[in-house]
Amino acid sequence: MKKIMIADDDPGILDAVCIMLEFEGYNVTCTPDGADVLKLQSDLPDLLLLDIWMSGMDGRDICRQLKQNAATHHLPVVLISASRDIEISALAAGADDFLAKPFEIDDLLGKIERNLAG
Amino acid sequence: MSKIIPESGYKATFNKITAALLLIDIDAPSYTILDVNEAYLLATNTTREALVGKSVFGAFPASPSDEDAKNIKMTINSFEQAIQTKTTHTMWDYRYDIPIRGTDEFEERYWTTSNTPVLDDDGNVSYLIHSPANVTELIKLREKEIASVEAIKNHRQQLYATFMQAPVGIAIFRGAEYIVDLINPTLCGIYGKTVDEMLGQPVFDVLVHIRGQGFDQLLDQVRLTGVPFKGQAYPASLLRNGRLETVYFDFVYEPYREIDGTISGVIAVATEVTEQVTAKQLIEEAEERARLAVDAVGLGTYDLNLEAGEMITTKIFANIFGFDEPVPWADYVRVFHPDDLAAREEAHAAAMRSGRLFYEARVIWPDGSVHWARVEGKVYYDAGAKPTRILGTLLDITAQKQAREEQEKLMALVADSEQLLRNITTAAPNGLWMSDEQGKITYVNQTWSDWTGLAYEENLAEGWLKAIVPEDRQRAGETLLKSLNGRSLYEAEFRIHHIDGTKHWCVATGKPQYRGDGSFSGYIGSCVDITEQKNLQQQKDDFIGIASHELKTPVTSIKAYTQVLERMLLKKGEAREAGMISRMDGQLNRLTSLIGDLLDVTKINSGKLQFNDRDFEFNDHVKELMEDLQRTTEKHILIADFHPTGTVFGDKERIGQVITNLITNAIKYSPHADRIIIHTGIKNEEVSLCVQDFGIGIEEDKLNKVFEQFYRVSGDLQHTFPGLGLGLYISSEIIKREGGRIWVTSKPGEGSTFCFALPLKTNI
Repeated sequence: MKKIMIADDDPGILDAVCIMLEFEGYNVTCTPDGADVLKLQSDLPDLLLLDIWMSGMDGRDICRQLKQNAATHHLPVVLISASRDIEISALAAGADDFLAKPFEIDDLLGKIERNLAG
Repeated sequence: MSKIIPESGYKATFNKITAALLLIDIDAPSYTILDVNEAYLLATNTTREALVGKSVFGAFPASPSDEDAKNIKMTINSFEQAIQTKTTHTMWDYRYDIPIRGTDEFEERYWTTSNTPVLDDDGNVSYLIHSPANVTELIKLREKEIASVEAIKNHRQQLYATFMQAPVGIAIFRGAEYIVDLINPTLCGIYGKTVDEMLGQPVFDVLVHIRGQGFDQLLDQVRLTGVPFKGQAYPASLLRNGRLETVYFDFVYEPYREIDGTISGVIAVATEVTEQVTAKQLIEEAEERARLAVDAVGLGTYDLNLEAGEMITTKIFANIFGFDEPVPWADYVRVFHPDDLAAREEAHAAAMRSGRLFYEARVIWPDGSVHWARVEGKVYYDAGAKPTRILGTLLDITAQKQAREEQEKLMALVADSEQLLRNITTAAPNGLWMSDEQGKITYVNQTWSDWTGLAYEENLAEGWLKAIVPEDRQRAGETLLKSLNGRSLYEAEFRIHHIDGTKHWCVATGKPQYRGDGSFSGYIGSCVDITEQKNLQQQKDDFIGIASHELKTPVTSIKAYTQVLERMLLKKGEAREAGMISRMDGQLNRLTSLIGDLLDVTKINSGKLQFNDRDFEFNDHVKELMEDLQRTTEKHILIADFHPTGTVFGDKERIGQVITNLITNAIKYSPHADRIIIHTGIKNEEVSLCVQDFGIGIEEDKLNKVFEQFYRVSGDLQHTFPGLGLGLYISSEIIKREGGRIWVTSKPGEGSTFCFALPLKTNI
């Protein structure tokens, strides 16, 4: 079972997405605190879904750090934002993919599958 | 019987005789002095011892004057002549200077010397009696006489030359015939003749035409009575240079008297004064003309005798004062307006000091009417600097005064309205400005100066640009010049450095101005401080931006829940419930779309709409969008009328947004139609797309408004069609930002065709 970690400071979105992905058969770790992602030492997820604008944290900074760390740089990261305009900066931060809120569930699942496969 | 003189007596005679005598031997070349008498020694300033026994030439060496006189040679020659001819030989009037004793000087002396041979019994010459006579006085006298004769001769010649060269004409006419005895060229010139033509001829024979002009009688009168005649500026008709001219003379006829007092003729002295006379006549004519001119312009003139208290005036002067004919001074003074008398007195008093009289005063005519008169004059003073006379002019200036009063009233009105205008422009809450045809600022109002803190002058020409923040400055100036070139309305937004220390947003507008003759004269415009609006707009945009962003978050979670729920229900096989949830998701999509539109508008308004341009296959993209949209409608068939377009360089998502918007609108506004045609193609270097519907259409007067922000269909159908009225506005902004154009053609009841065109450009 593939392991996915989700970080979003909005509890509603976090809850809904976690339910959705669990329903789709993924092993999901949910955290409202982006800092948790950087605390990962072992038991790494297979893919990360990160919100960009989180209170106290920027998903792009987390992505950048993950990509600079040899232990985590291979992990696929999908950045999510309510603003479509920051897609470019998201990709520049090293994200493997980008998704604008609100999104179709099919789009989310499609991106997850593509990046897990890649 | 006479007394017998003894032999010694002759010796005494020899010595006492006043004639200087020297006895000289004939022993040439020595010619030894044998004896000398007292007179000789006296005449030559010598002594007997110095002479006797010496050669005559040794005793009297050559004197300085000998060089010229060659006295020695002449004397030897005279001796030889006397010896040879045995008769007396005389040397006449020669010069031989003698030494002044005790000095080296010589005294000028002239001599006439005879050398008389004395014969011996055999008849041979024994010796010579040399007798010099001092003729110096005589010679001097003769020289003086010659010199004075010469002087007289010169004097006469000078007189004649003077006479001949005199600038006045002079002639002597002799006898009753008045034969020209003497005439100088000047007079001949006046007569138009030569001296040769005149000399020796009776004057009236030569100047035939002058007969009968009275000159013959005048000459007769002078000759017969001896009383001279003097003529001044006397006219005569003379034939000169082949023309009969009237010339004028000043002349004098004097009787010519012989030594015995009888009158034998007339001396005429004449000068021509034609030019002076003509000049005088010209002056008189000029004076006459000036007088006529003075009369013509209605100038009255006066001559006021201050001592006698009398004033001579012209008729016009009297007329200006309301009299028919000149009246005494006091009568004139009486008709002055009482209010102006003090000013008149003052002017007169000032004139006594300055020499110039000038004042304007009213006079009251007998009929009671009031007239304005301007008095000007010059004061004349006597030797004691006492004013004696004022000469001057008088002019009726009633009409001028009235005109001036009118003008002053008008000026006052203009000044009032200027002040009013200034007050209005100062009071205006907006900046006001004017420019000339080159776009140089010629006026700004106080409000603008108050905003910018720049003095009026600092704003002129290009100075106003200093008030604008550097980022906006160039655009503001260039926009004005661009508008000016096109004579179009000027509109520019810019920020200024406000005196309060902050930046203020302003919108300046200007309208081209034209002169009476239709030529362009510049701009007049205003400038409004829109900082407040800008701030409000910003707040609004910020609010909408934040609000729509905040809305997205709950929508995202609702959407996620909805979709999970739908899937769960489907898995359970509860298709009906799943369908309801699916429709709920559709409504969420609409909500998302509305939020997206609001966000886009705030981005457009703040200039933050971002574009991510890249190449994409245009027709392929349109086809994908059509397929997606076809799923949203069951009623309409989307028909593709594609022509080749190739790739387009632009923001694929944004352009897609426009296409979606146009097709969605077509579906929405053609509820009773069943098809929508989408045309694509290339024309004139542009890729174009048209969405043709067969719906309700748009009234012509609304056509251009459909692309405006918040425009919605009005009237009966207003509530039939949902939406914020932002879609077409966003679409038109996107197309404009991509460098394209968007337009619509429509016929109410038949349908509309919305099109856009993008320039063919590729990523270079």
